[in-house]
Amino acid sequence: MTVVAESNERAEVVQKPEQLPPSARANKVVAAKLLQRPYTGLFVLLLAMVISAIYGGFQSGFPTSWVPNVTTWFNSVANWITIHQNTAPFFVHFLTPIGNWLGNSVNAVTDLLNWLSWPGVIALFAGTAVLAGKWRVAIFVVIAMFYFGLIGLWSASMSTLALMSVAVLISVVLGVPLGIAAAASRVVEEAIRPILDLMQMLPAYAYLVPIVLLFGIGNSGGIIATVIYAIAPVIRLTMLGIHSVPYETVEAGKSFGSNKWQLLRKVQLPMALKPIVLGINQVIMMALSVVVIASLVGTGGLGDPILQALNIVDVGDALTAGVAIVFMAMILDRIVSAVAENVGRNVSTKGQRQLISPRNLRIAVGALVIIAIALGNVVGGGGSFPAGLSLSLSAPVNSFLSFLQSHLYHFSSIPVIGGTSNLSSFTTLEILNPLTRIIGDFPWWLAVFGTGVIGYLIAGWRRAVLVSIGVTAIGLLGMWTDASVTLSQVLVALVLCVVIGIPLGIAAYWWPPLEKVLRPILDVLQTMPAFVYLIPVVLFFSVGNMAGVTASFVYALAPAVRLTNLGLRQIKVDMIEAGNSFGATRFQMLRKVELPAARPTIVLAINQTIMLVLAEVIVAGLVGAGGLGYDVVVGLGRDEFGLGLSAGLAIVVLGIVFDRLTQGRPAGRRS
Amino acid sequence: MSISSRIPRLKRLVRWGGAIAAGTVLLSACGSSSSSSSSSSSSATKPTITLVTNSWEGSLANNVVAQYVIEKDLHYPVKLLDLAEIPAWPATASGSVSAVLEVWGHYNHYQTYVVGNHEVINAGLEGPTGNIGWYIPTYLLKQHPELATWQGVKADWKLFVTPQTAPQGEFLDGAPSYVTNDAALINTLGLNMKVVYAGSEAAQLSQIETAYKAKKPIIFYWYTPQYFNHVYSFSQVALPPFTQACAKLPAAKIDCAYPPYYLYKIMNSKLPTTAPSVAKFIQAFNWTAADQNSVSYDMAVNKMSGSAAAAKFVNSHQSLVQSWLTGAPTPKKAPVLGT
Repeated sequence: MTVVAESNERAEVVQKPEQLPPSARANKVVAAKLLQRPYTGLFVLLLAMVISAIYGGFQSGFPTSWVPNVTTWFNSVANWITIHQNTAPFFVHFLTPIGNWLGNSVNAVTDLLNWLSWPGVIALFAGTAVLAGKWRVAIFVVIAMFYFGLIGLWSASMSTLALMSVAVLISVVLGVPLGIAAAASRVVEEAIRPILDLMQMLPAYAYLVPIVLLFGIGNSGGIIATVIYAIAPVIRLTMLGIHSVPYETVEAGKSFGSNKWQLLRKVQLPMALKPIVLGINQVIMMALSVVVIASLVGTGGLGDPILQALNIVDVGDALTAGVAIVFMAMILDRIVSAVAENVGRNVSTKGQRQLISPRNLRIAVGALVIIAIALGNVVGGGGSFPAGLSLSLSAPVNSFLSFLQSHLYHFSSIPVIGGTSNLSSFTTLEILNPLTRIIGDFPWWLAVFGTGVIGYLIAGWRRAVLVSIGVTAIGLLGMWTDASVTLSQVLVALVLCVVIGIPLGIAAYWWPPLEKVLRPILDVLQTMPAFVYLIPVVLFFSVGNMAGVTASFVYALAPAVRLTNLGLRQIKVDMIEAGNSFGATRFQMLRKVELPAARPTIVLAINQTIMLVLAEVIVAGLVGAGGLGYDVVVGLGRDEFGLGLSAGLAIVVLGIVFDRLTQGRPAGRRS
Repeated sequence: MSISSRIPRLKRLVRWGGAIAAGTVLLSACGSSSSSSSSSSSSATKPTITLVTNSWEGSLANNVVAQYVIEKDLHYPVKLLDLAEIPAWPATASGSVSAVLEVWGHYNHYQTYVVGNHEVINAGLEGPTGNIGWYIPTYLLKQHPELATWQGVKADWKLFVTPQTAPQGEFLDGAPSYVTNDAALINTLGLNMKVVYAGSEAAQLSQIETAYKAKKPIIFYWYTPQYFNHVYSFSQVALPPFTQACAKLPAAKIDCAYPPYYLYKIMNSKLPTTAPSVAKFIQAFNWTAADQNSVSYDMAVNKMSGSAAAAKFVNSHQSLVQSWLTGAPTPKKAPVLGT
């Protein structure tokens, strides 16, 4: 599975030459020069800090009297919706029908899949892979889909598959045009970007209740929540794809007299196909990651067995269904990539070395699918997989886990460390608790302008203003204390990911077999719903902030390893040759040549890790880590929409601040 | 790779994609029309009854038994829908859900949907009384008999110190959707303890299990009826008795035990007209905490399927089931403020 670095685009986007009238440009240059003069901005920031320190005093935290009643305001909006959901014309005649229509289309796709019957569905997906020339993918599809049936979750899998298909379809239909519009116009791009950040980072938990009120439960609300969360990558990557079409190619197209539309259709879109497909893959991954949450509003599917397993603390059952979600992700990812690759492939290289002619293959696959559908409907008795073959991982997994817990948890189970319970108490007592206290006690002005100074040093005054506003916003949302709890955990999880992930990435670069071993493990870590490892995390680390840190670490490790590895592998051969010719040792090579060359990708790895850790804040809230994640969960659970949304927004702001602080200079400014 | 060689393939892709999309839309249109027509043709006789399963096992136990009886004796198709507590109310109001067989409290929702716009009907009491409170494992009570009351907990707070709350004692709270007064109680009763919110019942249960296996001290928010009480042995800690005066205090000032929760059923207001026999059944449905626990236990611990556990229960409780089909509605009791 490919991990896309979302923010890759910012570094790669080819900047359009600015088109400003000369006078405006001159003014801008003067202003920029003034502000870019070394230390002017820094001076301004420090001055602001001193003034606010004198004004505000050295009190710790954020002044509570400044916090406006955002939460109450959000709540009154939700109440208004509750009261008017069945009367306001806009809801009744516009939103509810949209919800019903979308819900019905998901139901229709489910019906279609059931009509195809299980042999038909397997034949159709495997056949698609075969037609795309991917025999191995086809074999995998058959095995994975048999697994759905064998564990007794065939119909749940089809519900999820239907929801995924419609979510992807909507994301493409809406996302590609939006991406094109954003690529064509700077204004649209600037307007869209913060909205995309918001949609991607705001936990779905925070807006489930109003969505259900407006669009209804089940697939109606479920599909909308899923699309809101998952659509961003396809927009971003369409934009990136079109931007990355070489300037010369576009010019060539123009010189042949193509108009804008022709240029888009014949040059830009075909060349942007690869990033767009990557975007679709990302949509699938993100959509699958909200399957369990969507189950909370009644979409059914593979989330249900996981939630039910949690009710009876049965990790084995949860894992059985979790593996099905991982398989679903892999099937969709591989099929979409295979089809796209096949479409993008040069015609002339196709059809060589093939035993069967493409035409015959197509006929054969078509016939196979029809036979399978007929078989399924006539012999197999309809869509459902035969019962009685059921396979369960429950018993072995649970006994293995309890064996592990009894050998790892308690005092003196492991030499030196003592056991996971000791590890957990040590981290909580010596690192997390003090860190939370220190961050929580930061005077607001130090936090606000201190972040500003860092922002300034990294990328100039614009960045400084942005991050300072962000930190202030967290205080104004009334989330200062809870954000400090979350922040301390995010930092520890980040350090763990960096300390373990980057060396793993380097090791896998030095010794390629390790990469082969790691790849499937990382795939699983990234797609396995966190709800599955919620219980194991508690079993080993106890309810509390260390459990939260561990869950975040597990989820966010993958990009740290992958991107480090990718960065090292992308280094040009001649650089390494040069290093070797100077007689550098392995470690000198790493320190002096390879790591510096891979630096941008490693920075990106850190950036991505933070984003994933923040995405996992909710799960941390589910294992007793408190903070913003718990607030969001309470918001949904106890009908406190305002609290949930405020905390959700604070997570978004935290994400944006971190993102901007780890991104380095904007691409356009690089000389 | 030249662009020109790709263009025909892209064109084809677009054409194929268009064809497939159009086909899907057509199919889905027929699919939905056929499904709606089939459902409407069957709805003339039997609409699907949707029951909400909440995130505790007892809720599932109610539903599998109700499903079994409704399908076998009343011949309506039944669907069990996993849904969180909050969305269950608007869903019952709009009719996307037929009924919820176990509701804990929800005073505010009750005011909006039952008293306010009459979109939801109170279908009477379910039978068990929900008992929320402070619990400890029984082995701990045997070692420290004084822990039977909150005064004992106040004296023995040191037993419960964990890294998470050090230097104070830890009080473990569970699922965030359940109303808890524990932080307020600890404050008003002057205990040197701090609440840790497990954030989910699964996390809380795992923590309790870990402590239980090692026979370690632990004190937590818990409730009955819950099948887990038959897997492990817990004892309740006595809090100052519940009074009406105390219930009227602001949330942060509460200094008494939790009120009793008279668990009740709700259903969509149109159900009596669309499925009269089912509406009657739901209004008459009631059983004891022990009944519910036995079904939960069969599913959760004995790993029986829902339908098998329901069949086992129904076969051994024929007269009770008969009273659901022919008996009178159960008495009604509205939830009180603060629940």
